[in-house]
Amino acid sequence: MDAIVDFFRVYQTTIGVIGINALLALSVWLTLYAGQLTLGNAAFMAVGAYGSALLGMRVGVPFPLGLALGAALSAALALPLGLAVFRLRGVYLAIATIGFGEIVRVVLLTLPFTGKALGLNGIPPITELWHIYLSLAVVAYVLWRVQQSTVGRAWAAIREDEVAAASQGIAVRRYKLAAFVAGAALAAWAGGLSAHLNFSIEPGDFGFTRAVQILVFAVVGGTPSVAGPILGAALLTALPEILRPLKEYRDIFAGLILMAVIIYLPRGLVTLAELRKTRRLQEIGVADVA
Amino acid sequence: MRFRLFALTAAVAVLLAACGGGTPGAQPSASTGPKADIKVGLAISLTGAANIYGPAQQNGAKLAMEQINAAGGIGGAKIALVVEDDASARDQGITVFRKLINDDKVAAILGPTLSGVAAGAHPVAQQAGTPVVAISNTGVGIVGKCDYGACDWIFRASLGEETALPAALKAAKDKLSLKKVVLMFESDQKFASDGAEIFKKAAADNGITIARTIPYKTADVDFSAFVTQAKGESPDAILASGLAGTASKVLIEVGKQFPQGLRVVGSNGFNSPAVITAAGAAAPNMIVGTAWNKASTDKTNTDFVKAFKDKYGSDPDQFATQAYTAMIVLADAMKRSANATDKAALKKALEGTKDLATPLGAFSFTAEHDVKQPVFVMTVKDGAFVPFN
Amino acid sequence: MAEQLYNAIFVGSIYALFAVGFALVFSVLDILNLAHPVVFMLGAFVALFFMSTFGVPAALAAVAAFVLTGAFGIFLDRIAFAPLRRRGAPPLSAMISSLGFAIVVIRLMELRYGPDLVSYPAGSLPQTVIQIGDARLDGLRLLIIGLAIILMAALTYVVRATQLGRDIRALAENPRAARLLGVDVDRAVAATFFISSGLGGLAGALLGFAYNAIYPQMGTPYELKAFTVMVVGGMGSLPGAVLGAYILGIGEIAALVFLPAEFAELRDALAFGLLFLVLVIRPRGLLGHRTADRA
Repeated sequence: MDAIVDFFRVYQTTIGVIGINALLALSVWLTLYAGQLTLGNAAFMAVGAYGSALLGMRVGVPFPLGLALGAALSAALALPLGLAVFRLRGVYLAIATIGFGEIVRVVLLTLPFTGKALGLNGIPPITELWHIYLSLAVVAYVLWRVQQSTVGRAWAAIREDEVAAASQGIAVRRYKLAAFVAGAALAAWAGGLSAHLNFSIEPGDFGFTRAVQILVFAVVGGTPSVAGPILGAALLTALPEILRPLKEYRDIFAGLILMAVIIYLPRGLVTLAELRKTRRLQEIGVADVA
Repeated sequence: MRFRLFALTAAVAVLLAACGGGTPGAQPSASTGPKADIKVGLAISLTGAANIYGPAQQNGAKLAMEQINAAGGIGGAKIALVVEDDASARDQGITVFRKLINDDKVAAILGPTLSGVAAGAHPVAQQAGTPVVAISNTGVGIVGKCDYGACDWIFRASLGEETALPAALKAAKDKLSLKKVVLMFESDQKFASDGAEIFKKAAADNGITIARTIPYKTADVDFSAFVTQAKGESPDAILASGLAGTASKVLIEVGKQFPQGLRVVGSNGFNSPAVITAAGAAAPNMIVGTAWNKASTDKTNTDFVKAFKDKYGSDPDQFATQAYTAMIVLADAMKRSANATDKAALKKALEGTKDLATPLGAFSFTAEHDVKQPVFVMTVKDGAFVPFN
Repeated sequence: MAEQLYNAIFVGSIYALFAVGFALVFSVLDILNLAHPVVFMLGAFVALFFMSTFGVPAALAAVAAFVLTGAFGIFLDRIAFAPLRRRGAPPLSAMISSLGFAIVVIRLMELRYGPDLVSYPAGSLPQTVIQIGDARLDGLRLLIIGLAIILMAALTYVVRATQLGRDIRALAENPRAARLLGVDVDRAVAATFFISSGLGGLAGALLGFAYNAIYPQMGTPYELKAFTVMVVGGMGSLPGAVLGAYILGIGEIAALVFLPAEFAELRDALAFGLLFLVLVIRPRGLLGHRTADRA
């Protein structure tokens, strides 16, 4: 029993970060599910982080309200951005969102009240693990239900073939925007939670590296289901701590594991379950799998 | 089905982390000896974007530990150094501090390397009542007046920019009668931003005009345009605050565009032999306020330099020296305290550090727990740092 | 002013040398090769190895860098990309695979050379300065500018006028059709990686010489610039990548020179603002001939 208490005391930050990364991965998953590859969610995370931290520290806004306002601000930014780029596909969209992300980062470095390069320090550490995991449970459940609903099917149709979906009367632009904006709000919420977990934030926390990291969580976990990004985030966040005994060789194994996972399961960890199912279907001649 | 898979994997991940993280640091205890080892944590950046200084810090601390143990340790008990890597990431820094405090039960922690990581890690130690000696954080707000509230458990052994930069600037002004300068700084790095503000104030105090301020980013790859821009102002000198990689590029450009030479008053990032080598013929342009004069003939220093060279095959740099010094300051405090592993007693003993002989010179802590030591304003001659006078 | 223009052309040449290899792999194989900064860095270290161990002159060491990193590029493909192609994996997986590969190689280099700056042996780098009127131009930099132009021209020639180039273009269009038409797809892929990584490695060696300070993470700052270059100049177009590189270089320095000092920090935002604008208004980029609507 003592060992478990000790374990939590030491790894509470890691466990918290796993939950936050799962939320972030879900925010990217959401847009991926609707066929959009976005690398801008690190910037939306920053908006939520700075927004809630500044509102809390300078204006005295209570924590949950601060989080909500951060998410709302993020959604407000995502709407025009989404409208501007909705014609772009694939890598082009990704790069446009990278551009947006970098602009946000530079703005954070320049605005006087954000602390510039110093960032914000002394943020009260009021995020509790249950805040994070409750958010995660609610979000995961909602997304799971949405996936089965009309909205989810519309997104899947758009992802498969946008033109065909449009011809079937699906309001493509509206659905894409919805996914994009919802993803931004979710990332901002996670950002607010994150800011109040680690005492301090700085613009460098939300750059290109972060954006790629979030995408990797979602893709390595797998996009067919909601469990994918959660799995990907959990594994890849815990990995550095699991590999800690390897000391200076830690990164080498982390890189090799990343490569191995993506090469053997290119569509993500959750496809492991699917693989067995389709193999069985193949055996009985029912499924014709590419 | 999928949720089951997720739950299973999460449980496995958590268990693995428990197994991996539950074991104490891999350092083997000292051999025989009736007294238990005194554990000291060393939390530094050995990997990640800021890992340039990590290895040197580890070497310096290890050398000190070995020397102290060879001389009998602390009342017969040996010091065991528990080294952990924070990968230049704040959340790992926090976890590392918690691990050192709760799992390894260290008496004190040295580090972390980066001020940005310290912003998260130091509050953890403060809350847990564990003494910390910062060995390379030179920005503002590390000790004394901290953004996160009380920080009286935090001490600093690394000379702050707020002391070093004004000293360097004043020395440059006195010797070169500077009137007009250009300020260049790495605007997306915390300590460089701090440095820029400190330079601005010091310039004002010394009656020097900053004709132009040129911010650059860590990701900027070429500096010819920045220096050309500075040249347009015909400055008497350039004040530069940035990390080592950019420091050498600035110097090289200055060497190219000012063939007759132009002084560059640099920040802590310039304090590196690697910068001297990279800058080549342009190196003598730099003036930098350092915590350490390698050429000092002080016996504590010459002994240290020789021992370091014998053990590691190369000369120490400032980062190694500051880590070494922090270690001997800690050991000295442990000897003076009634109980070396009693953190409160250790804190009190640290506060009482007065004129301790270290390679940095006579070392004391101020009332704000900051280092009190002489500042050495250095320049470069024949490929080595020499005093500027 | 003229001097700043010269600086801008030099910076543009640097970006071009780095980005063109990156753009080549993307154009042909739809892969965002996040291991490109690694071959860039390896080129610099390969040159260092030859110069410090065997006393080889810098020019020859640069050639060695080109050849060896080119070969390494083929190895990179075999390990990180080919297995994914065989499985018909989505392009994102390739990007992630290259990321893992990059992490491993950078760490290995750090363990071997340390993370700190390393310089070339004293006296091994050319120090010539050419005086043109008032301006003192660095010989090495002029050489780099010249080499960049020559290499871009050579690459364009290879792609347009040789059989290999035609094979590579067929591969870019449609790999399956190319194979059906008798193109040796494997050879074309290997050649693509050889050229891309070789150019990247050569760029690394040249820039290593220019700054005389190399370190395992030195490729990282260039990565983001490469994205910008590719998009501005046009995805799928090599001359476009080169054009994009010079536009970015000139744009960055123009922002430095013309922006009033208070806005100096927003300089970066301008580069990305430009990127963003191009994508929204003309997603094809300036010279691109692939539509942005391809997923």
